[in-house]
Amino acid sequence: MIASNFLTNKAKAYDSISYSGKLSHKGSQGAGCVTPITVRGLTIGYGSKAVLKDADFEVRTGEVLAIIGPNGAGKSTLLKTLAAQLPLLGGQISLMGSDIRKLRPEDIARSLSLFLTDRPSTEWMTCRELVSAGRYPYTGRLGLLSEADWSIVDASMEKMGAADLSDIPFNNISDGQKQRVLLARALCQEPNVLLLDEPASFLDIRFQLELVSTLKNLAHCDNLAIVVTLHELDLVRRAADRVICLRDGRVDRIGTVDSILTNHYMEQLYGLPAGSL
Amino acid sequence: MKRYHAAYSILGGMLFALLVLNLIIGSVYVPPSQVFRIIFLRQETDAAALIWTIRFPRAIAAALLGGALAVAGFLLQTFFSNPIAGPFVLGISSGARLTVAIAMVTALSAGRILSSWEMIFAAFIGSLASMGLVLIFSGRVRNMSVLIVCGIMIGYICTAMTDFIVTFADDTNIVNLHNWTKGSFSGMTWGNIRAMIPVVFIALLLSFLLSKPMAAYQLGESYAKNLGIDTGRFCFELIVLSSILSACVTAFAGPISFLGVAAPHLMKRLFRTERPLIILPACFLGGAAFCLLCDLIARTLFSPTELNISTVTSVFGAPIVIYIMLQRTKRGAASS
Repeated sequence: MIASNFLTNKAKAYDSISYSGKLSHKGSQGAGCVTPITVRGLTIGYGSKAVLKDADFEVRTGEVLAIIGPNGAGKSTLLKTLAAQLPLLGGQISLMGSDIRKLRPEDIARSLSLFLTDRPSTEWMTCRELVSAGRYPYTGRLGLLSEADWSIVDASMEKMGAADLSDIPFNNISDGQKQRVLLARALCQEPNVLLLDEPASFLDIRFQLELVSTLKNLAHCDNLAIVVTLHELDLVRRAADRVICLRDGRVDRIGTVDSILTNHYMEQLYGLPAGSL
Repeated sequence: MKRYHAAYSILGGMLFALLVLNLIIGSVYVPPSQVFRIIFLRQETDAAALIWTIRFPRAIAAALLGGALAVAGFLLQTFFSNPIAGPFVLGISSGARLTVAIAMVTALSAGRILSSWEMIFAAFIGSLASMGLVLIFSGRVRNMSVLIVCGIMIGYICTAMTDFIVTFADDTNIVNLHNWTKGSFSGMTWGNIRAMIPVVFIALLLSFLLSKPMAAYQLGESYAKNLGIDTGRFCFELIVLSSILSACVTAFAGPISFLGVAAPHLMKRLFRTERPLIILPACFLGGAAFCLLCDLIARTLFSPTELNISTVTSVFGAPIVIYIMLQRTKRGAASS
């Protein structure tokens, strides 16, 4: 827990990093009345093999919900299913009040965006070009961006502190910078819901803390609903408002950070001997 | 934007210059002014027959098919997210050649010659079959080397079978067949060109209309899905289009090696972007110019002996492939 203390001491200094100005968001306008994601009796998995059964929870506007659990508990599978990338094996997911199975792909794209661990492998694509892909759901057949689209692209990059990377090839920047660019891409999609799969991998402590403050700001100031899978419990404690714990193919617990992240329960969840935390 | 304009102008200029060179240079030198009079004023001189029946259709075919091959290469590179994928490297050209050889020999033994359309169709079946094999073998492997090794092996198997068929095919036309299996633009007719124009241009237009999903797919399948792209349908369209384009090339000119890898790479470098909207037309122009240059060299270097087109494209293309691989390896080592 030495690292934890270090995080606590340093956190304040980075709280305001990479957050400047407010991007106009659909999420901040009148989205409060609809629950962004409602999950009922959800069964997920690959093929016919269920990884997680009978999950019930919702993701609310303006909160960061962290998914935690031991390896193989289905964190990523759950996230991919929420992102409509995997078919549901049972139950229902409502995105902004509509059944996700009945929504067209472009409608899903306009209200939900994704941030993945894997970095896209590109050659010449500049950061600005990469971010601009976030506007595709709003463009026509050829994917040409309007002036308005470009200004949203630039505003997103500005907001994530990636404006100075605009014309640099994505391939040539550091992992921490890639994180900012990919977040800008997710943001310029103007989503109500932002899903992040292990966003903290690859990052050193400085960028991890920057990520935490960015997520909090996006949720609390821009009213995004954020779902994030995280390994590091220290980051969960810092970033999340609520936590959902997966274990043995089911949702074990849902609750506030304080009620979940007790040493006693964490030992249970990860199968550690009592007293090891 | 300025860079794009300049680069397109350079490409257009090169394409035009090479087209002219291909018309004037050869066993007999025909001055440009005379070529102009023959083509645009329909002047009847001694050289008219040479230009109209041999050089002009051949140059048009080299340009069209070279462009088609470069576009096919770019589509495959996008699909496999692999910069050295291409119709030849993945064995798709060789598969197409095998089915065309089978169709030709069957037709010849029945005493008739295949029409252009039948050749394209036979090649398309072969392309799709090889593509299917590559997809099965590579499975979900995203490893660049494994994919290429699979493709090369499929290419060898198809080539061996083609050689077998050619060796034992018993016909006087075997000489033609033999030339064709090595890759060549000689003997192009206007009938061939009338058949390839609609195929190439329709496939090209449809590819261009896929620019947006292609750009999204360059970020990877998951991001493409998240951007509202129906990736299953998109991949299907991409496979069919690249197969049609490579089939059309193989049907008329036989296998042409490495052009499908080299041309897109050079274009991305010239334009300093990989945006499909910009690069697709560039690939067509660049591939056309590259192919005209290679055919010019193939025809004239050891005239009257003609080199296979693949001999020339390999000399230029293979080093580029090696360069890309080395660069990738270096980059991979640096980032890990």
